[in-house]
Amino acid sequence: MSVRDFGYSVSDQRAVDLDRKMPDELERVYLQEPSLRNCIACGNCAALCSAGSFTGFQFYRLNVLVSRGLLSELAKKAEACMLCGKCQMACPRGVNIRHGIMLMAQL
Amino acid sequence: MTQQKVAIIGAGPAGLQSAISLAEMGFLVQLFEKEKQPGGHLAHWHVLFPDRQPANEVLDALMISAMNPNISLITGAEISAIEPSGRKWQLKKAETLICEVDAVLLASGFKLFDAAQKEEYGYGIYPAVVTSSELEALFMHQKPWPFNENLESPKIGLVHCVGSRDAKCGNLYCSKVCCVTAVKQAIELKKTFPAAQVYSFYMDMRMFGLGYEELYHQAQMEYRVQFIRGRLSEASPADGQRIQVKAEDTLMGRPLKLTLDMLVLMVGMTPSVVLGNGSASVELKKPMFADGFVKMPGQALDDSRLQKPGLFVAGACKGPVTLPDVVKDAKATALDICNYLTEVL
Ligand code: SF4
Ligand code: SF4
Ligand code: SF4
Repeated sequence: MSVRDFGYSVSDQRAVDLDRKMPDELERVYLQEPSLRNCIACGNCAALCSAGSFTGFQFYRLNVLVSRGLLSELAKKAEACMLCGKCQMACPRGVNIRHGIMLMAQL
Repeated sequence: MTQQKVAIIGAGPAGLQSAISLAEMGFLVQLFEKEKQPGGHLAHWHVLFPDRQPANEVLDALMISAMNPNISLITGAEISAIEPSGRKWQLKKAETLICEVDAVLLASGFKLFDAAQKEEYGYGIYPAVVTSSELEALFMHQKPWPFNENLESPKIGLVHCVGSRDAKCGNLYCSKVCCVTAVKQAIELKKTFPAAQVYSFYMDMRMFGLGYEELYHQAQMEYRVQFIRGRLSEASPADGQRIQVKAEDTLMGRPLKLTLDMLVLMVGMTPSVVLGNGSASVELKKPMFADGFVKMPGQALDDSRLQKPGLFVAGACKGPVTLPDVVKDAKATALDICNYLTEVL
């Protein structure tokens, strides 16, 4: 009989495991666009994103995936952006969002 | 005319600065400190936020100004009650009369939250779990690092809000200085161990002061500190002396785990003293769970006077506050005391 887990252990499928090494591809994304580190997850970019109204695209969530070293869904998700640049005009931390998305889309 | 006398309880930054201001105005000051050394928490700090000014520089400057013939510093002296005697006040230790003065200033500061109360973080059980104040001692080489210093890339986590914003600890308030202290300490850690990976677990980043947000920005860009939004739920032992931590990564909406070589708990400020509500005298009592800081009746326009004429309060015993604000409060309170003494003369 399996032991019932009441949430006191970390479920391995869902957990973000920061003990894993950051993939080199993502280190390169940071090297090419260091301003991605500057995001404070305020959500402004997502609130005014026109693509987001149709697709649920949220740039800052993508950026969190990068910072947690989670590569797999990045490129596909990044395709929803139409590179209009509206977000970048509003970002309070001056993140070069479009360039970031371009790099993510190429992964 | 005899010189009027003021007693000050506590020789941390608030007590020292008010003593200096009052002495310069010509009053006689008796400055009581319960510890063996003056300086309060400042004496145990390495560098200060946001400019990383050495703490001893600030304390030395205060100590030099306090070498004033009008100030006598009495260390190792704990005061337990303040009692009225005509228009004067008497300081007592148990039943013993210590001195009689014209006004009393309470400047007994704050205590650090006892991290062992937050059992899920394992402080006092796992050697790799230290408090923010112990980290300052580590920076000053007063004790050894709890991990092998030759590690190529030690992993270090900082947990915000330990003992603050936490009803389970009886403290609903925010301690105000620990967010920026965490950012400062993260940078200091990266300077000490340049290849270290430093993570900060926060609920909100409260960067309210000038230069604080800038420091946060610098920690992200220059020092690559990783900020993770989510309250650490627990720490447990991993291999060797390492610690495994668990949190909800609230930006991901997923649980997160991480193994660390050192976990730093950003302990909050708690009250150092509670004023007993006696009829005439004021008892200085040890705070109990959820007692809170000394509450000032005058609020916005007058936060230095208690309801009893001649009794004043300055500094962090009124609540969490930064060092520059303590110094300003101490100077302002000295002026209030001067005005009071001039009136009663
Ligand atoms: S607007 Fe800028 S700082 Fe805010 S979440 Fe988007 S990228 Fe981050
Ligand atoms: S550049 Fe992309 S992410 Fe930014 S507002 Fe336009 S569509 Fe949205
Ligand atoms: S200053 Fe920051 S770490 Fe300290 S209690 Fe407030 S929110 Fe928490």
